Amino acid sequence: MSDELEQINAAKAGSVEAFTGLVGRYREGLFRFLLTRCASHADAEDALQDTLINAYRYLHSYDSRWRFSTWLYRIAIRNAAKLASPYVTELGELEAEESDPLSAVIQESERENLWLAARRLMNEEVYSAMWLRYVEDMSINDVAAVLERSTSWTKVNLMRGRKALDAELNGKSVKESQAYGQA
Amino acid sequence: MDKLKEALREDAAAIDATVSTELDNRIRASLEGIQPERPEQAPRPRRGISMWWASSLTGIAAAAAVIVAINLSLNEAPEVTPTNTVAGAENVPPVMPDLTARAAVLAGPLEEELEALESDLRKAEQAVRKEMGLDL
Repeated sequence: MSDELEQINAAKAGSVEAFTGLVGRYREGLFRFLLTRCASHADAEDALQDTLINAYRYLHSYDSRWRFSTWLYRIAIRNAAKLASPYVTELGELEAEESDPLSAVIQESERENLWLAARRLMNEEVYSAMWLRYVEDMSINDVAAVLERSTSWTKVNLMRGRKALDAELNGKSVKESQAYGQA
Repeated sequence: MDKLKEALREDAAAIDATVSTELDNRIRASLEGIQPERPEQAPRPRRGISMWWASSLTGIAAAAAVIVAINLSLNEAPEVTPTNTVAGAENVPPVMPDLTARAAVLAGPLEEELEALESDLRKAEQAVRKEMGLDL
C-alpha cells in the first residue's frame, strides 16, 4: 500500500496528523490556484480552509481510482465558485491591473504574467483546465474529471487556450480568443 | 518541454502562495474540531448501461440455470451416463461473476464519458439561458 493510501486510511479513521501530512504536498499549489481564482487574498484563504475541511469531512467519498489531487481540486473549484469573483465570472471585465489582488502576489517581470493574460482571455473553466494541465501536470482525463466535462471538450478547449496564450506570448493578436471556452 | 508550457510554469511559480502561520493554525484548529463522516449506506447501484448489462447477465444466468436443471434431470435416465456433464454444470455459476466484472470494466469508462457529455450539454444549456437572460 502506498504512503498516500495509508495516510488516507488513517485520516478516515480521524487522524488530523495523517490528513495534514496528506494534504501538505498539495496545499501550496492549491492555494496558488485559489489566489488566481478568488477576488481577494482573504477569499483565497477562506476557500483553502473550506476545501481542506470539506476534504477531511467527506474523505470517505474519495474514490481511489482517481488521483487524490484530482478530487481535492474538484472540491477547491466548487468552493472558489461559491465565493464567486467578479474577476473571473465575466470575460474581459478585469478592472485596472493595480486593483487586481493577483497582481499584488506576482513577482515583477518584463512581460505580463501569462496567468493574468489567461484570465483576460478565457472563461473560468478553460482557465482552470489550462492550470490543471500545465501547472499541476494532470492528464486530460483527470482535468475532465475535475471540471465534470467530457474529454473531447477538455481537449478542444485546451488546444484553444494554448493557441490564445501562444499568441499572447509571441505578441500576436487572436480575435477568436474572445470566444474561448464557450460551451 | 515546449516554450509555452515552460512560460506557464514559470509564471505560476512567480505567484507567491506562502501559507501564513496564522492560516495554518486556523485550518488545523478547524480540522481538530470536526470528525470525518462515515458512509451511512452502501453506494447506490449505477444505472444506465451497467443496469442493462446486469439485466442481460441475469437473463444469461437464468438460462444457464435452466440448462443445468435439464442436464441434471436427463442424467437421472439410465442411458445417459457421463458424470462430466454434471461436474461441468456445477462449474457454470462461478463463471458469471467474472463476466459481470468484465462487463463492468468495459462499460465503466463509456458510462463515465456519457455522464461527462450530459454535463457538457447541461452547461451549454445554462450558458445559453444566461446569454438570453432566461435565468431567474
